[in-house]
Amino acid sequence: MSHAVELRGITKRFPGVVANDAVDLTVEEGTVHAILGENGAGKSTLMNVLYGLYQPEEGEILVDGQRRSFDSPQDAIDAGIGMIHQHFKLVDTLTVAENVTLGSEPRGRFGLTTDREAAREAVRDLADQYGFDVDPDARVEDVSVGEQQRVEILKALYRGSDTLVLDEPTAVLTPQEVEGLFEIIEELTDQGKTVIFITHKLGEATTAAETVTVLRDGKHVGTVPTAETTRESLAEMMVGREVLLEVERSASEPGEVVLEADSLSVTDASGVPQVADVSFEVRAGEILGIAGVDGNGQSQLAEVVGGVRRPDEGRLRLDGRDVTDDSRRERIDAGVAYVPEDRQKRGLVMEFDLADNALLGGQHHLELGDRNSDPETAAEIVETYDVATAGLDVAAESLSGGNQQKFIVGREFGRDPGFVLASHPTRGLDVGSIEFIHDRLLAFRDEDAAVLLVSSKLDELQQLSDRIAVMYDGSFVGVVDPESTTEQELGLMMAGEQPDEGTDDRSTDARAAGAGARTDGDGARTDGGDRGTDGSDARTADDRAMADGRRQPNGGSAIDGDGGDDR
Amino acid sequence: MSERDAGGVREAARAAVERLVGASRLERALVSVVALVLAIVVGIVFVFVSGFFVPDAECATPFLATPVGLFCYNPFTVFYFLVVSAVSSPFNLAITLQATSILVLTGLSVAVSFRAGLFNIGTQGQMVFGALASGLIGPWLVGQVTQGAVGGAVVIVGTVAAAGIVGGVYGAIPGVLKAYADANEVITTIMLNIIASGIAFTVVSEYVNPGGNIQTEPLPSWAMLAPIVAPPGSRFSVLVLAGALVGAAGLWYLLNYSSFGYDLRVSGLQPEAAAYSGVDARRVIVATMTISGIFGGLAGAAFVLMAQGYWTDGLPAYGFDGITVSVLAINSPAGVVPAALLFGVLKSGTIGFQTSPYVSVPPQLADVLRGIIVLLVAMPEFVRMVGVRAGIGSLGEEGVTAPPGGDDADADVEVSPND
Repeated sequence: MSHAVELRGITKRFPGVVANDAVDLTVEEGTVHAILGENGAGKSTLMNVLYGLYQPEEGEILVDGQRRSFDSPQDAIDAGIGMIHQHFKLVDTLTVAENVTLGSEPRGRFGLTTDREAAREAVRDLADQYGFDVDPDARVEDVSVGEQQRVEILKALYRGSDTLVLDEPTAVLTPQEVEGLFEIIEELTDQGKTVIFITHKLGEATTAAETVTVLRDGKHVGTVPTAETTRESLAEMMVGREVLLEVERSASEPGEVVLEADSLSVTDASGVPQVADVSFEVRAGEILGIAGVDGNGQSQLAEVVGGVRRPDEGRLRLDGRDVTDDSRRERIDAGVAYVPEDRQKRGLVMEFDLADNALLGGQHHLELGDRNSDPETAAEIVETYDVATAGLDVAAESLSGGNQQKFIVGREFGRDPGFVLASHPTRGLDVGSIEFIHDRLLAFRDEDAAVLLVSSKLDELQQLSDRIAVMYDGSFVGVVDPESTTEQELGLMMAGEQPDEGTDDRSTDARAAGAGARTDGDGARTDGGDRGTDGSDARTADDRAMADGRRQPNGGSAIDGDGGDDR
Repeated sequence: MSERDAGGVREAARAAVERLVGASRLERALVSVVALVLAIVVGIVFVFVSGFFVPDAECATPFLATPVGLFCYNPFTVFYFLVVSAVSSPFNLAITLQATSILVLTGLSVAVSFRAGLFNIGTQGQMVFGALASGLIGPWLVGQVTQGAVGGAVVIVGTVAAAGIVGGVYGAIPGVLKAYADANEVITTIMLNIIASGIAFTVVSEYVNPGGNIQTEPLPSWAMLAPIVAPPGSRFSVLVLAGALVGAAGLWYLLNYSSFGYDLRVSGLQPEAAAYSGVDARRVIVATMTISGIFGGLAGAAFVLMAQGYWTDGLPAYGFDGITVSVLAINSPAGVVPAALLFGVLKSGTIGFQTSPYVSVPPQLADVLRGIIVLLVAMPEFVRMVGVRAGIGSLGEEGVTAPPGGDDADADVEVSPND
């Protein structure tokens, strides 16, 4: 078997960050290869290098054994590489056939006209060859998202691609469409094509791919055949572990319930459920950790709690008051500190200097005549959190990612919050800064604040949390005691499975601590066709639900996938 | 051009736009200055070369005689007169400052909305309505007061207030449409410009002065803003310039010293960060558009009370020029003042130049020169703004979690499908 694509030592730098650090990738011809990693691991960057969108600083690209250098996507297309982006690049008002042939239409009379009939014919033939269900005459705006994706794939095939790169192909699909996509991928490889797809979902990688390459922080962690690996070990490869000193932690003395979430549900614009019926409590003086592989609904849940997103269903109470419909501003006024996951879109205004950024979120408490900038606070944050910066009047964008994060954490923690919501607060930080932030989080807990910590780092969660809720496919798989749960068990739960018996006391623990975690498989997004959660009674007791959730080899069909399909 | 070359050009253009989008404010100001110099150089070459095509018989005083032919025009004199005639006499200077002060107002109107990320093209319409309100309310007030300094002051204050209110309301309409119905403000404001002219024309021709000229009743000179320091007979009042400068200072204060100003600036740069910091996006949109409309309305009042004395169909396009002024000023209130002055000089210089007996150049050339300057000076900022709106490039480098790369980067994964 020969190599369809080989990347050797690809290094791609962006200002302040190495997105790919000497990454190797070998893809066998006629196979399905998954590129697995968390957000920001460098997956898309690597594929954009292969597709000629980025030019790497170092490394070489080999296609079919030949060295190539791609200055533009056109070069990559000429070499037989096709890419299907996550956001489709289709013209909504044109038909399927027009979109597929766009730019290389069959020519009619004297080469001046487009031969529409030939175009339609070509698309139909191509669709038949690969068993695609598409109507060449339908307008793209009228067809479902899944069909649009098939049009994108046809487009690549029409241009003679032998290797197809799919960027997060399932992110926009309903569960049924995901299954359809996997069938298409199988058909493509049966006919000799090579498929590379990017994903951060373990299930998809193990279901659809023959080989998985895991990236983390821009580095190649490993390449393994799916047959010889387990989801837990993949999860561990993705998340990684940093060597941290053991944190001094006193026993927690949970007090009053500060935050109470009752059956929260979030559905995205195309009707795909992202958070499904999640309930929990966070008490004063405790840290509730939320574990999970990225993309299982933690982000959306955090946004709901932080007040930048309204839940579609369910209620949220803060200090006993219903705050579900409160604005973000009211949430701030109520003393909620929020370290957002996306520091560069939300947490900081990139063009603002640090003095201006120090006021972000606090700008509505200005006195008349005050400058709407806060150099004093900025100086304090820089000092306390050891933010490396050339000054307070430099734009936030000139700081490295880690220093940006420290600044946000410093700003939010400095507002004397009663409730702290920290979404990946230590992502991208060095060990020293991580320890400092961990200490601060524990200090909040000891000062009787309630802390909700969303993280994908297991060691962080285990060291800090008093309880850990594991999220998978939009729901809590379970709430466990970090003391009595191993990383392996957590990894297993993050992959949507239940660990073996023997650690069962954790479910009783969770209940004793008043955590109303309910496992609810209904409407969850499947990652792979083979193991959706079941759609049975959502309100069973934890034990029952956990048992139900253990393994459902053929549960995928039970999932409802309303919306999306008939968009 | 082959397909490959076209791709290369496209990539290069994209890279250039990305560079512009990422430029700092200082770099952008520098680009404006360099562009102005470049525009003058291009203009000089243009005038010089044009002189070659003048038939020799018509060229009484050639600038340069070469073996290949006569170059008739002296480009340096042309520029000299373009600038000098704008400031050479008190009367000419008054024309320059008249345009400048109105352009400061329209420039501020555009700047405030652009700073909030709103592509407001509606200043012209707001100005038309402000002028119409002035043309209707002014004469009515004249009938209510007795002639004199006090009466004049009442008329002027009342008229200015009415124009500001009308402009504000008219500016708020596209704001409300945007905030509550997600209507694209570019489209609605352009449409509202046309609607404003249409309504004004109909009101005046059908109800105010049926059968007569399409204009409102002229204000008596005691009810207009008198030329205080400018020579009598010129139509410039230093009060308007002072008012416009106060407006610029006020807007600067608002942007830098108030919660609302902070909200506005964050909204314009990063709507998601605005939402995160508790900004009510709808409120900011409506309020910003209202402020923008007030400035537009005031520009209309300034035109009626200072320059013309009545409303008439076919108002000068100060509202549209305000867009260029604001873009040139990188949408900063402080920058609007010099940018408006540059435009004022060009506007009045063109007039002086076209009527100057010393320049043998065809008057149309002055417009060409003005066009070259506007084009070169304003284009980089304009392209940048379009680039930002189209999502090309990144406003700043992105750190660990987000390699820059437009819509394909990992970082977008979490946000985009859900919003």
